[in-house]
This record gives sequence, C-alpha cells and structure tokens, in this order.
Amino acid sequence: MELAVEAAQSRHLPEFLEQFARRAARMLDAVWGGVAVYRGRETELYSMAGSSDPTFPGGADWLISRALECLNNMESRAIPKEIAAALQFPGDPGTAVFVRIAASDNERLGTLCLFRRRKSLSADEKRLLHALASHAALSLENFRRFSQLERSKRQWVEDIDAISDYIVVHDRAWNIVRTNRSLASHLGVPPVALVGKAMSSLRQIAETGSDLACPFCQDTQRTREEYVAASAERIFLVSTSRTPGISDDDTRTIHVLKDITDRREAERRYRELFDSIQEGLFFATPEGRFLDVNDAMVRMLGYGSREELLRADVSPHLYPAPEAREKFLRALSERGVLRNYEETLRRKDGTLLHTLQNITAVRDAHGHIAQVRGLMLDVTEQKTFQSQLQRERDFNQKILNTTQSMILVLDTAGLISYANRRCYEAGYQESELIGHRLVDWVEGSHREDFDAALETTANGHQVENLELRVRRSDGSMGHFSISLSPMRDEQNTVNSVVVVMTDITDAALLQAKLAHSEKMATIGRLVSGVAHEVNNPLAAILGFTDLLLENPEVRGSAREDLQIILQETQRTKDIVQDLLSFARQRPVQRELVQVNNVLRQTIKLRGYDFASHGVEVAEEFEETLAPALGDSQQLQQVFLNILNNAYDAVQEAGQRGKIKIQTRRNAEMIEVAISDNGTGIADPQRIFDPFYTTKQVGKGTGLGLSICYGIVRAHGGEIQCWNNEAGAGSTFVVRIPVATESALAAAAAKEAGR
Amino acid sequence: MSAPAALWTGEPILLIEDEPSVIAFLRAALERKGYAVVNASSGAEGLQRLSNGRYAGVISDIRMPGAVNGAEVHAWIQKNRPELRARIILISGDTANSETQAFLAQSGTPCIEKPFRVQQLISIVEKTFGKP
Repeated sequence: MELAVEAAQSRHLPEFLEQFARRAARMLDAVWGGVAVYRGRETELYSMAGSSDPTFPGGADWLISRALECLNNMESRAIPKEIAAALQFPGDPGTAVFVRIAASDNERLGTLCLFRRRKSLSADEKRLLHALASHAALSLENFRRFSQLERSKRQWVEDIDAISDYIVVHDRAWNIVRTNRSLASHLGVPPVALVGKAMSSLRQIAETGSDLACPFCQDTQRTREEYVAASAERIFLVSTSRTPGISDDDTRTIHVLKDITDRREAERRYRELFDSIQEGLFFATPEGRFLDVNDAMVRMLGYGSREELLRADVSPHLYPAPEAREKFLRALSERGVLRNYEETLRRKDGTLLHTLQNITAVRDAHGHIAQVRGLMLDVTEQKTFQSQLQRERDFNQKILNTTQSMILVLDTAGLISYANRRCYEAGYQESELIGHRLVDWVEGSHREDFDAALETTANGHQVENLELRVRRSDGSMGHFSISLSPMRDEQNTVNSVVVVMTDITDAALLQAKLAHSEKMATIGRLVSGVAHEVNNPLAAILGFTDLLLENPEVRGSAREDLQIILQETQRTKDIVQDLLSFARQRPVQRELVQVNNVLRQTIKLRGYDFASHGVEVAEEFEETLAPALGDSQQLQQVFLNILNNAYDAVQEAGQRGKIKIQTRRNAEMIEVAISDNGTGIADPQRIFDPFYTTKQVGKGTGLGLSICYGIVRAHGGEIQCWNNEAGAGSTFVVRIPVATESALAAAAAKEAGR
Repeated sequence: MSAPAALWTGEPILLIEDEPSVIAFLRAALERKGYAVVNASSGAEGLQRLSNGRYAGVISDIRMPGAVNGAEVHAWIQKNRPELRARIILISGDTANSETQAFLAQSGTPCIEKPFRVQQLISIVEKTFGKP
C-alpha cells in the first residue's frame, strides 16, 4: 500500500516502476524484473533499477512480445488468469514469469515480467505475485488519475489563456488572484506578474466610472453584473460573477471583459444604414403593428417621428383593406418570403401610399410567424404613371375602336398584322385580313400605286391621302382615302406601317355635287354681268327699231326687215331675261306648300296639250304628304319645266307617251319623281348646265333646267336626273325639305337675319 | 306710286346716262314727243347740272361708272330738290341685283327695265313729268 501512495505522490512514473520491478524481483528471487505498461497501442518496458536490460540479446523485444502474447492468452483463458505461464527462454535455462496487471474495471494496464532461475512457482510465490500485481494495478491507476487531473488542470489554464476576452479574478482585498494571458499580454507582462497586484492597476484597460478599488466592480452585493465600459479606443462588455466563499479568502470576483468594439461598430453601421436608406425598413408583428422602422418609413407614411408611427393605435388607420392583410398573412405563412408584394397603405393625412414590399417571416419554435420584416418602396408615382399610361392606352384603344376609319398595321412586306374594330364592322373577316397582303384588296389598276406608297413608307416617309379604289367586304368597289405612316423600333428602323383607310365614296359624291353647285354659281355671276352689258345695246337697237317703225317714211321691204330686227331683238331680250332669272338670287318665299296641289295645278296647265296628243299622265301621290317649306310659284315653274321636257321627249319618241308623277316623303324631304318613256337624255350630267339643250335651235333658250336647278337649290333641296334603267325614258327627282318645326325655325331665323 | 298724271312745267328733262347709244335713242324718242333734253354722262355731272339749272324731271340710269350712281342721285334730289322728288324715272339693265331690287322697293320710284319699247318709255314719262 505504501508503494501505491508513494506512486500516487510520485511525479515520476518511470522511477516508481523501476523501484517496483526491483522489489518484486527481490521478493520472488528473480534475477531480473520489469513492468510493461500499455498506453493505448504503445507499450513501454520499465526494467528494474540497476539492471538495464534482460541478460540476452533482444531480450526487451522478446519480453514485450511474450508479455502481449501471454496477455492475450490469459484473456482467451488459455492460461490461468492470475499468472501467466512460465516460459522457457530460448537458449537459457531460466524461466520467465508474466503477471497481468489489470485495473478494477479489468482494463489491462501492464504486465509484470520476472526472470528466474527456478522453474516452478510455489503457492506462496503465486499469492505474492498476485498481491504484487494488485498493488501495481492500484498504483498505475492512481498515477493515471493524478496525471489526468494534472493534465486537465494545465489544460484548463491553457483554455482560459486561449480565451481572447480578458479574464481577471480578484479576492475580497481587491488583489488579483489570476488573470488570463490575453489580459496580461494586453498589458505587456506575463500573467504571473500580475498575481497579487491591486485591481486598481487595471484601471487603464477601461474606464467604468466606479469609485471602488476595482475598476470593474459596481455593486459588490450582486452575484452577477453586466454592463458596457469604454476606453479611448475600445468598448468592453464587462460580465462579472461573484462566488461568496466560506471564508473571506475564498471569495472570488471574476470579471470577463469582452471587447465588443467591432460589434458596436457593426451595430452603429447597421443603424446608420437602417436610418439613411431611402427605402422603408420595418419590423412588425404579424398583425401589422410596427416594432421598429427607419426614418424613410416614417417619412413615407407622413408621420412626425418614429415614436408616433410605432404607437399601437396607428395600425387600424394604416391598412385601408384589412381583408387583404389576412390574405397576405396566409401567403407569407405558406412561402415564408414575399417578393414584390403590392400593398396600399394610408398615410397619416389619409392619402394613399402605393408600396412594393419584400417581406420575410421570422418564425417561432412552433413555426408560427413571430415577426414580419421587410423593405418597402414607395411606388405611388409609378402607380400614378402606370394608371396614366393605362388611361392613355384606353384612350388610344377607344380611338382605334370608335374611329370611322379602318386602321391596319402592316409589316414591311405588306402583310396585315393588326386591324381595328372598324375593319370588322365593315364586314371584313379576321381570317381574310390578318396575315394577308392588303394590296390584294386594292383594285388591280391601283395596285402599283399602293405598292409604291408602301415602299415609300418603308423608307421612312409618310404618304397622305392616297386615293385608291379598294374592294369592300361585300365585293363592291369603294373609293378610299389611304394614309400610310412608318412606325419605327428602338433602333429607328421602320418595322411596320400604319395604314388609315377611309371610305370616301359618299364624300366623293358630295364633292362632285359641291363642284357642280359652285360651277353653277360662277355661271350665275357671269351671266348676270353679260346680261347687263347686253341690255344697253339691246335697249338702243330695240328703241331705234321702234322709232324707225314709227317713221311713216319707212316703207315696204325696209319695214319688213325692221319687223325681223324687232322680232329677233325681242328673242334676245327673252334669252337675257331667262339668263337673268337663272342668275337672279330672288329670295324664296317661305310658306307651307302642299306639293301635291302644286303638281295638280301644273298638270292642269298642260292638261289640254297632254290629252290632245295622247300623253297619259299617271299620278301616284302620297295623299298624307306633309307640307314642304317653299315658294309655290317657283316650284310650279320647276315642275312645269320638267313636264315640258317630258312632253317634248315623249313626243319625239313617237310612241304613246306616258308620264308618271310620284310623291313621297323620304326622311326630312319631300321627293317628287317625274319619269317618262321618251327618248331619254344624252348627257344627264350636263343637263342642268346653262345653254345645254337637246332641242332644235330656236325652240328653247337652254336655260330652263338651269333655272330649275337654281330654284331647287335655293329651297335647300336638290334635283337629279337619270335615264331609266329598265325601258326607255328618263326620271327627274326633286327633293325639297319638309316643313318641320326646326326647318320653320331656321327659315324664321334666316328671315330675321336678313 | 301711280299718282295722277303730272303737270308739264316746260323745262327740259335731265337725262343721266353713260351709254351713248342709249342717250341717242332716248333723246330722239323724247324730242320727237316735244320734250327738251339735257344730258349728263355721269352721276357727278348730273348733280352738277341739277345744282345749276331747273328741270322738269330726271331720268337716270341706276348703274353708272364713277362715284355717283342712280341711287345716290335719287337720294341727293330727295334732300336738295324737294320739287323733283316725284319727278324721277330710273332705268335699269340689272333688276336681278338684290341691292337694286331693295332700293326700288323702298323708294317706290318708277323704273323701266332695259330693253324697253318706245311706247313704254313715253307712257311713263308723260305720267311722271306731264305732257308738253
């Protein structure tokens, strides 16, 4: 037992083992003793003191390998557990004895090897060996425990020293008991140098403002303290633990100074970034109450301060649509992150703020959303811009869809890629437009013109008001005004052509009518001037002829000649009178006129001639015809003129004449159609031109229908004529306005304005 | 405005007309019936003669070149020769003109339209100026 204690106290294992081996060898009358010790895979042999090695060459290796072998055999129970076999040395008469040294938990620790001259072991010797092995085991175990303790202690100091935080322990007398290496090297001294020094010597590390002898102690009554202390360059988090001991000597105060300068800086930078960033940053509860926000967020929402915005009662004002909030939470719960989430918030002043947010959910241990963190962009302006854009787009769309023009987009090859609604309303099918060539709809003879215009446009030039004949959806040809404009891409290359097509067939007709009435007006002015100039010489001719005829000296053939002059002068006078009455802008009497009655009276005027020459007149009058607004005398002149023409035409045709007169109301017009089965008109387009006549020379002035034209126009009506499609003859149509209230009012206004 | 036939004063008739052939015919027709005729070939000359002499009546063309036309001669007489107010006959080659029509309708002055027969002229002259 003494040995075990001795061993435990001994710091030197080899020394102990050598002594042990020697004692064992002496006790068992062995010439050599040693102990093999196993440390993991390593095996070390300690020979008895005074004798270095076994007495034969390679003895140590032999012994160790034998020892291991025996050990294995013992474990496999091939040999008695307590004592190993006595083994013969090779080439030596002695015997080796191996005894296992096992720990209390049967862990093998080593083997005691003895080398004896005697071969057998007595029972006493065996018991002694056994006791020695137990003793050695105890010693080795103790030794190992102690060395572990030693190591762990050393390790602990090393660990403490390895901590970069400054650690200092002091006693109640404010004297340093220990510091770690970090602290000592901060002061530039070995740790031992500080032991026993006063804590006040550490005041240079950080200023805490404490007036106690220890710069780091603030309240000695507390077992734990934590606060931040700063020096000129560094900031420390000082954590203090106090262990009250039984005696004053045991009382320890441990200060750990953690350098948090960098963390502080990082925090400061973070806060700076948080506050200076232009985007809104926020931490909020899932219910939407803000926990922290940056300045941008405060500004965005129009609050005076962060505190005001963080108040609990703000949230109901903030969210104009709480139901959207629930949807938002569901989505966030599912996905954890929401990118480009659009939310409309209400500013303090009540105006709406359109935001775009990127949001992350922070979950608790149960996976529930504990916090919502996000970044918020003010997109109100973009939103306004967007809606403005939308409005503009709608507006353009409306124009495109409601315009009476057909608008198409062609690619540069002339294929249609877009057609507005009007195209389809006009009867074209999408399948016959999109992807087809527009030129195919253009009349054959105009296709070259269209292609040329398309090429011009593709080269970047606008083509305006190209007038072409284009096939309508029903197959008929229409007169179209076409404008082509180039459309360019970002590279300023023409990539398509916008075609605006307007059916101006009606407009072309109107244009023709306008041109005609303008022509008539010009002729009127011309005629008026000519008539006036002709009247002066005519007055002299007529006057002198009268004077000559009054002269009794003029006789015989001279008198007859004068009669002819008189007659021809009269005829000239009539022509000039007709010319003047065509040109005369005599105001139309505005009165209610029963057109049927005017027609009946007119027919009566020629009734005798018609009847005697076998010309049948058929009246097809609409009896409930509304009154027209006009001058019945002038209208009678118009109808008489047309009837006379019809009469002449049927007479000339030489067959049984038939004149049909129809009246009816057509919209706001009274329509009178007079058709005959006569010879027809050579040129219906020119019939209203002054001096255009088909009659024999001397039979008419050629002004009758021109005068009719002037009268009808003065009535605000129109007169047309054409040759009948079926059968012979021609038809005249006179349209004059119905005396509606508005027409009467307009007439009255015109009257008043005159 | 067909008043009973006027009384012949014996003074000449002032004829204001720019067309020489018309002047010649009118002078011949009137002198043959016993009237004396003084003629002025413009409105301005007519007014000058009216200021300086006495006349049984005035026959004036409506449309004449120059500053003074028939309507203005008529207006001058209304203002300066009250005795001649009802002794004016106008001649017109252009009754189609709406201005002329308006003037004639408003003044009620007798008017003969060119071309006219001698009988038309004489009957209206006798009625307005009287018979020599």
